[in-house]
Amino acid sequence: MRAAICLAMAFAAAYGQGLDPGALLRPPTDTWPTYNGDYSGRRFSPLKQINTENAGSLTLAWVYPAHNGTIKSTPLEVNGILYFTVPDNVWALDARTGRQIWHYHYQSNGGDHIGHRGVAMYGDWLYFTTPDCHLVSLHAKDGSVRWNIELADVKLGYFSTMAPLVIRNHVIAGVSGDVTDIPGFLDSIDPETGKQQWRWYTRPNSGEPGSETWPKEGDAMSHGGGMTWMTGTYDPDLNLLYWGIGNPNPVLAGSGRLGENLYTCSIVALNPDTGKLAWHFQPSPHDVHDWDAVQTPVVFDAEFHGARRKLLAQASRNGYFFVLDRTNGKNLLTKAFTETNWSSGIDALGRPVAKAAKDPTPDGSLVEPGSDGATNWMSPSFNPLTGLFYVSARRIFSEFYLTAEGKPEGWGGRDRNIWANSVLEAIDYQTGEIRWRHELGRGEGVAGIMTTAGGVLFTADNSGNMMVLDAANGRTLWHAAAGGRMENCPMSYELDGRQYVVMAAGDMLFAWASPEKH
Amino acid sequence: MSFCRYLLAAACAAAFCQAADHPSKEALDRGQKLFIQSCGFCHGNDATGSRAPDLVRSPSVNHDENGNAIGPIIRSGRPDKGMPGFPLSDAQIADIAAFLQSRVLAALNSNSVGGDYPLQKLLTGNAAAGKAFFEGAGGCTGCHSVTGDLSGIGRKFQPINLQSRILYPGGARSTVTVTPASGKQMSGILVMIDEFNVALRDDSGWYHSWPRNQVQAKVNDPLDGHRKLLYVYTDANIHDLFAYLEGLK
Repeated sequence: MRAAICLAMAFAAAYGQGLDPGALLRPPTDTWPTYNGDYSGRRFSPLKQINTENAGSLTLAWVYPAHNGTIKSTPLEVNGILYFTVPDNVWALDARTGRQIWHYHYQSNGGDHIGHRGVAMYGDWLYFTTPDCHLVSLHAKDGSVRWNIELADVKLGYFSTMAPLVIRNHVIAGVSGDVTDIPGFLDSIDPETGKQQWRWYTRPNSGEPGSETWPKEGDAMSHGGGMTWMTGTYDPDLNLLYWGIGNPNPVLAGSGRLGENLYTCSIVALNPDTGKLAWHFQPSPHDVHDWDAVQTPVVFDAEFHGARRKLLAQASRNGYFFVLDRTNGKNLLTKAFTETNWSSGIDALGRPVAKAAKDPTPDGSLVEPGSDGATNWMSPSFNPLTGLFYVSARRIFSEFYLTAEGKPEGWGGRDRNIWANSVLEAIDYQTGEIRWRHELGRGEGVAGIMTTAGGVLFTADNSGNMMVLDAANGRTLWHAAAGGRMENCPMSYELDGRQYVVMAAGDMLFAWASPEKH
Repeated sequence: MSFCRYLLAAACAAAFCQAADHPSKEALDRGQKLFIQSCGFCHGNDATGSRAPDLVRSPSVNHDENGNAIGPIIRSGRPDKGMPGFPLSDAQIADIAAFLQSRVLAALNSNSVGGDYPLQKLLTGNAAAGKAFFEGAGGCTGCHSVTGDLSGIGRKFQPINLQSRILYPGGARSTVTVTPASGKQMSGILVMIDEFNVALRDDSGWYHSWPRNQVQAKVNDPLDGHRKLLYVYTDANIHDLFAYLEGLK
């Protein structure tokens, strides 16, 4: 105990109002120190002040109208300060009041401003990715810039939207791309200096294992895509970093890249100290539908058919729910979690087998789900108390066209959305059965999910209603029309004995809490 | 992965093509001819690579503005890689640069499936089989008639838009009948319905809304048949149906 106090005092001296690195290893209560709240990616808060009994009386604590484009980020909360982003912009707010402490604007040199997921924190420092694919380190005190490095060349089509992940003294940063045929990678950056510690390309080098999944001749593998769009997860005991990898390029035209195209559309495990690959599992071999596998690879330990296992689960964009043994990547369960029409079955490795007839064609091929996916970047949640995995799912029919003639470049095709609706699903992780569904309305839902020890689930429907559901059965306990569509993921923290839940609607941030006692 | 297809294409096109400020067709033609003469043998006539690299994916080309990056390479060659130099003028280099930028743009726009999508790519079905589906298994005649609402439908829409509309047309609004626990039943055009509220616009144009838990709301969606068919169609059905309806001029 004394040692712990000494350590805490030493830390306070070293970091001021910054982040205690130990917070990253604890369940998120008074602190939400990383994109998913903790390394597991469960989006499970142990807080229970807001619970199934009282959720109906949830009330507004504050609103922050950022009015700077749609908020798609998850705020961090550290020592009473919230940090959130939209492309090119970071804010620090008082987590008690929503009052702005500082606002940082980055002058980007072009790049894609499609969305932004948030910052990472290490000590007193924030890490912010930019549309022109830089990584900027800011002082959390005032938003002043310490350093700014280029991750990749924006002129080649790179950009970055993701919230980096801090593991010890590694800032793990990923990159995005879309229409150009560029290789994806993951960088580990020194948090103090901005120097690269390692880079892992999401494709093998020529001659390495996995390179046989690409054509031998030509440049398909070195220009094969595989972006690292989203924040990964981490198991401190195994010291393995888990990351979902993006789709191959050219996106819809596979003729120039025959083979399974590793490690695109894969879940990979890396050593965070070296960037060395430990294992991989590929939800969509040789994808031609833009079904990346970047959805959160959620880490939890639980019973699986009678034995306690170290598990990793992903509800993947292709419509399938996967459970893996995260020590070695072996598949334990594969089951469709929504309607799909593109697979003829599951192979011996647990991968869905694609029907060739559902590849894009010049005259159109009707596929479910569409390229926007059976789910996408919005956070799923695993609640250890209910044993359920929650995902924001969509039923999307889309007509896929192949436009490529000659050597495919870029997308080489596109789909046209025909019809969509959305449903929140609670999946039994041991069987893949859907325990309950809660319809969210027409269109494609993009709201994330958080569950808590209070037995409640936070999300939003497609009509602009923020909602609390009973995590056990999906019953609605509370809702509020917040004046915009929710496109971020909920987070929660406790301050002064009060639990707050923060969710965005459009360009405004809302904090909800139980009524104050005056 | 894309969050938003059209925005993304537009943003990228803007980011990548600052240099290619609408070169004239003449410049592009000259550039293409020059490229095929001087470069095509190794880089491929469409610049997508052959024995030498794909230039659509080349960092030098992606950084180039009017030949400033590729000019020195063209003139000096890359002797270490077996590329000879070509003594071209500034104007010729600029034309080649314009052609290469047009190739980059073509790659960026390869995700375009707009209204100008070519009919001949879509017209693979059998019109007679389409007619049989329309009148039989598809159940289309339950709502439609080729001499009535669909008369001349092949003239009214661009081909790819017609195909999309066959699958799921926009525009047809649902209607709703709302029955309160006590009081008057009301019908109208459905404005919104979610888990909590329902709203309609009545015949006189007035808006009304109710909490769902206090009324019965019965929605009539005229497009329900289209949605159900999405689970029934084979791709051949779709192409046949398209061939049939596209032919109704």
